[in-house]
Amino acid sequence: MKEKVSIVVMVDAVGALSDRTLHNGNISLVDDSTAGSRHQGTPDLITAVVPGQVVQWTPIHVDVQTPVEIQAIEFLPGAPVAPAADQADPDAPAVPAVPAYPVEPSVVPAPDATASNGHENHDLLVWEGVVPYYMVPGVPYRYRLSLKLHEGPNSVLHIDSPALLRV
Amino acid sequence: MAQQHGIIVLFDVENALRTRSLDGNTYWFDNMKFLGSTGEGTGDLVTIVPGTYFLDGSQATEQVLNWLPAALGSIPPTVPRNYLAERERAHDQRTLQQLAALGGEGDAGGAELTRLKQRVGKRPRKQASGRGLTATKLLDVTGSTTNSAAAYNYPAPVITDITGQAVSEKIIYPAQYGSPDMVYDGWYWAATVDTSRPGVYPYTVHVQLHELVEQNDEMVWQSVDLTCESSLKITSDPKRNAFTGGGLGVLPLPAVPPAG
Repeated sequence: MKEKVSIVVMVDAVGALSDRTLHNGNISLVDDSTAGSRHQGTPDLITAVVPGQVVQWTPIHVDVQTPVEIQAIEFLPGAPVAPAADQADPDAPAVPAVPAYPVEPSVVPAPDATASNGHENHDLLVWEGVVPYYMVPGVPYRYRLSLKLHEGPNSVLHIDSPALLRV
Repeated sequence: MAQQHGIIVLFDVENALRTRSLDGNTYWFDNMKFLGSTGEGTGDLVTIVPGTYFLDGSQATEQVLNWLPAALGSIPPTVPRNYLAERERAHDQRTLQQLAALGGEGDAGGAELTRLKQRVGKRPRKQASGRGLTATKLLDVTGSTTNSAAAYNYPAPVITDITGQAVSEKIIYPAQYGSPDMVYDGWYWAATVDTSRPGVYPYTVHVQLHELVEQNDEMVWQSVDLTCESSLKITSDPKRNAFTGGGLGVLPLPAVPPAG
């Protein structure tokens, strides 16, 4: 088992701000998991993880002079439904690209990104965490990935499609 | 991930040449106002360089600075490097064609010939030392050749060095680089920053402007070396985990699994 899984978020910030969406090819998610991730290179990346692993998200901006940072990663809550027994197969979990369940994330306090000079600097934040043991295998835990492109009222865009999946 | 700073230095070349000083004739601008740069668009820019370090003390992000000079009332720096030569050649060809057409009419009008002579424009020479600009014609800001000493377009200012406290204290490591884009960009100055020592550090940019002077009945470009000052404000803060606000913790997955 790898100790760490890296998820790289590549962003065409100029394209995303022009389209006002992270779709239309403006974002690409890739990970280095060896456990069988799916939809590499798309906004629908499902990263295969194992409890105890550390998952780390890193944004990369295509245009080096356009600031792109992660604003928030919020896991979307699910309905209280037990997973089907036949989904425990680690090799080929039947995972729809966009599962049908509520997509509004629970209220998570925004991480404090204030620098010592009083300005907000999301570069201070390291987006990484340990995969918990209570994660149910075979079920994609989707998350809302919010990206901050420079600043201003229209600077934050998000997608709800990527997920972590315990194999 | 750390951002790259673009620092544009806009020069009022005409005024700077007249007063022989860049004081009040430079306008600085960078893309880091949202992280704390101050004085955008003035001569008193303080560029923020927000450094970060990991909890073990090591530098977490490397900042890169890029200085981009530009001139007021000049052909923009974004046109291809061979723009002047291309415009000159196109202009010569057009004039030759018109001259040929004129010759075909047999009795070429004197006024017409004078007009074409005017159009050919002036070609300032290099200095006798052989240094300086190549002998291209005088062009105005629209890229047309001109005879008028008042309408010509100044060559782009050239940064020749970056010195000062920020350099001598080894806060920045400036060097001149060649752009990978050979058509639109030439050489530019860039620096990496040691963000482990917060503080305000002034630095000096050495700039070469070019002045058109008449010398022995010829127009000659002469270089004029001037300097201007700006400063960097280095901050440094520890990285922290975005989920916990402190160290590494468990991912905040919902307790109830989603219905897959």
